[in-house]
Amino acid sequence: MKDSVAKSIPLITLVGPPNSGKTTLFNLLSGKNYKTVNYPGSTVEYSTSKFSIKYEVNAEILDSPGIISLIPNSPDEKVSVDSLYFHPRLGSPDIVVCTIDASQLSRHLLLALQLIESQFKLIIVLTMNDILDKKKLKISTERLSGHLNCDVIKVDGRTGNGVKEVIEAINRNLKDLYGNGTTKPKPFDIESGKQGLIESYNKIEIITNDVITELPRKDEIDLTNANKQLKIISTPYIGSKNSPDELTLKIDRILLHKVWGILIFILIMGITFSSIFWLADPLMGIIDSSFSYLANATIEILGHNWLSNLISDGLISGLGSVMVFVPQIIILFLILGILEDTGYLARGAMLIDKPLSKIGLNGRSFVPMLSGFACAIPAMLAARTIPNRRERLLTIFIIPLMSCSARLPVFALLLAYVTPRDKPWIGGFLLAGIYLFSIITSVVVAALINKFRKKLIKTEDNSSFILELPTYKVPKPITLFRNTYSSTKQYILRAGPVILVFSLVIWFLTFFPNTSPKIDTQNLSQDEVIQMERSERLENSFAADLGKIIQPVMKPLGMDWRIGVSLISAFVAREVFVSSLALIFKVTDNEGDIQSSLLSSMNKAEIGNSGQKLFTTSTIVGLIVFFVFALQCLSTVAVSRKETGSWRIPALQLVIFTSLAYLMAFIAVNGLRFFGVS
Amino acid sequence: MKTAADLKFGEKVKINDIDTSNPSHQRIIEFGFTPGQEIELVSKAAFDDPLAFSVRGSLIAMRKKEAGCIIVS
Repeated sequence: MKDSVAKSIPLITLVGPPNSGKTTLFNLLSGKNYKTVNYPGSTVEYSTSKFSIKYEVNAEILDSPGIISLIPNSPDEKVSVDSLYFHPRLGSPDIVVCTIDASQLSRHLLLALQLIESQFKLIIVLTMNDILDKKKLKISTERLSGHLNCDVIKVDGRTGNGVKEVIEAINRNLKDLYGNGTTKPKPFDIESGKQGLIESYNKIEIITNDVITELPRKDEIDLTNANKQLKIISTPYIGSKNSPDELTLKIDRILLHKVWGILIFILIMGITFSSIFWLADPLMGIIDSSFSYLANATIEILGHNWLSNLISDGLISGLGSVMVFVPQIIILFLILGILEDTGYLARGAMLIDKPLSKIGLNGRSFVPMLSGFACAIPAMLAARTIPNRRERLLTIFIIPLMSCSARLPVFALLLAYVTPRDKPWIGGFLLAGIYLFSIITSVVVAALINKFRKKLIKTEDNSSFILELPTYKVPKPITLFRNTYSSTKQYILRAGPVILVFSLVIWFLTFFPNTSPKIDTQNLSQDEVIQMERSERLENSFAADLGKIIQPVMKPLGMDWRIGVSLISAFVAREVFVSSLALIFKVTDNEGDIQSSLLSSMNKAEIGNSGQKLFTTSTIVGLIVFFVFALQCLSTVAVSRKETGSWRIPALQLVIFTSLAYLMAFIAVNGLRFFGVS
Repeated sequence: MKTAADLKFGEKVKINDIDTSNPSHQRIIEFGFTPGQEIELVSKAAFDDPLAFSVRGSLIAMRKKEAGCIIVS
């Protein structure tokens, strides 16, 4: 580690326990150009920004991850704590602003005391004073400031009252620093252990008893005024009176109830899950059709040549396959944000911890797993909230098994093929069955991987579940939208480039070398000619060569190179399987309904010239089983690499899940044939 | 020896000591579970695990195994 970092402007770091209003303060202080970054070589995130112009403070402001103590409890916390002392890019902070939830004063003062002991230049910001008001308690900032020998300021996160005073305190402290020079923080003595912590709390009790006073009730106000004149200070605060929020306790009696709690939990998850699909569906349709409109328009403007093809099929369609999931991602993050900000998410994690701990996971694995049903990429990012490294890696490991929405179009096509036209409900029933099957298999696989974790995950640490259940609150829309925006942006930036690059690669493989195929154009409309050209080109493309190479691999599954090519193309994004099949089977969408013409082509398809049908019940089941297991999504692999810090886990996922998919499909196809199902 | 894991719903007790043999003991103290503090069992998840306690005006959920290191009187 370098000892000095060239620092042009002062660094102000925000520190505080989770739920202490730290990020709200960051949003109040920071300018528009904030960015969220990872500490080098880790998955721990922090945000930095310049101060908002209106405050006229020339300093960098850093929002560090929430910690409850300077004694790290996990590798990620160690990164957070180490970077607080010395940030790899920004150096040591000139001033540390510590946010403290006023209604949790005694618990949150622990971190403040440790920061003072480490000789940081400290400013304390008291948040959530309204909650304390409701309890008829008041904190004297002057007395707290006297005890801690630093500035103490009350800030109202909703109105922004107090921010001006924080700025003044920062300016005052900075001026002070220019006069006396910075003192380097010294690492906190983490060896003091139990005794040290208990001593800190003893100190805290003396402080809290002195600074908290009980507010008079309304009917006593006149009396207090009289008392003030008589110089009688209001009644001293007695620590034991600090009881949790009454309303929160009442709500918890229902939401954490043994029977009702579970039922409400299932209901909330059901609503979350179905709104991801139903609310997003029309929006996804709009995005999908506007991208195909763009792709067609490009061809019309540029004519039929390789460039227009590259732009429309490679670039625009590739971009479309990223953007089509954005509505789902936005809805997912919005709902998760609401659940998080109201305080429900912590309760959900508590309710589900026991069953998940049986398979080596944690209550906190639940949200990432649920997100996995929309898309594995935000799901893997959500796994960062799991403090235990082993449980986080295991969660990331099984996320690709959650049936993500990209599989939905594939299942829809395959189920339509086996469902009688007059009984569409059978399809819905089968789809529910597929989801159930995917949930059961992921549980089984998680249990198995957990069993072999020493070889697979190579991390062993103490599993724990200690979680604060925050007071129920009404979410703040601005914070909600800001977080959703930044998470969605992250998804696009992470998944976008990978999907784009690979769709260009796949485009290249399907377009070359036969760029201008010769076909008999007699009696064909122009659209049909174009469609025929595309099919012809694909049939003689590098992708087809590749498909023919893997023909022997496909044969045991009762499939041929055409399905093989579609499976390869599906590595860009699973739903590409459908469009790729449509291309290979020379389906034109002139008749309006592309699915029904694809279905009839599939019905006619034979393996070679053997007269044997290619798509039978057994091969369809085989394909469904394949898609349930296979990790056919290169962006997931890329994100898994980023989130786990090495290629080990993504490589294992790719190999294990894809070979499992092949094996299970083989068993399904041949098992069905053995029992007489063709 | 009675621990926080043995509490009944709504039972209020004082913490006597924290058993340091539990790997999570330090984190539990950091969350405010110190000798002399009064705690109350406020909720239990299904299967009676994890448990939620009220301590210092906040609610903290933890597994039964972890609550076992909080020795109460």
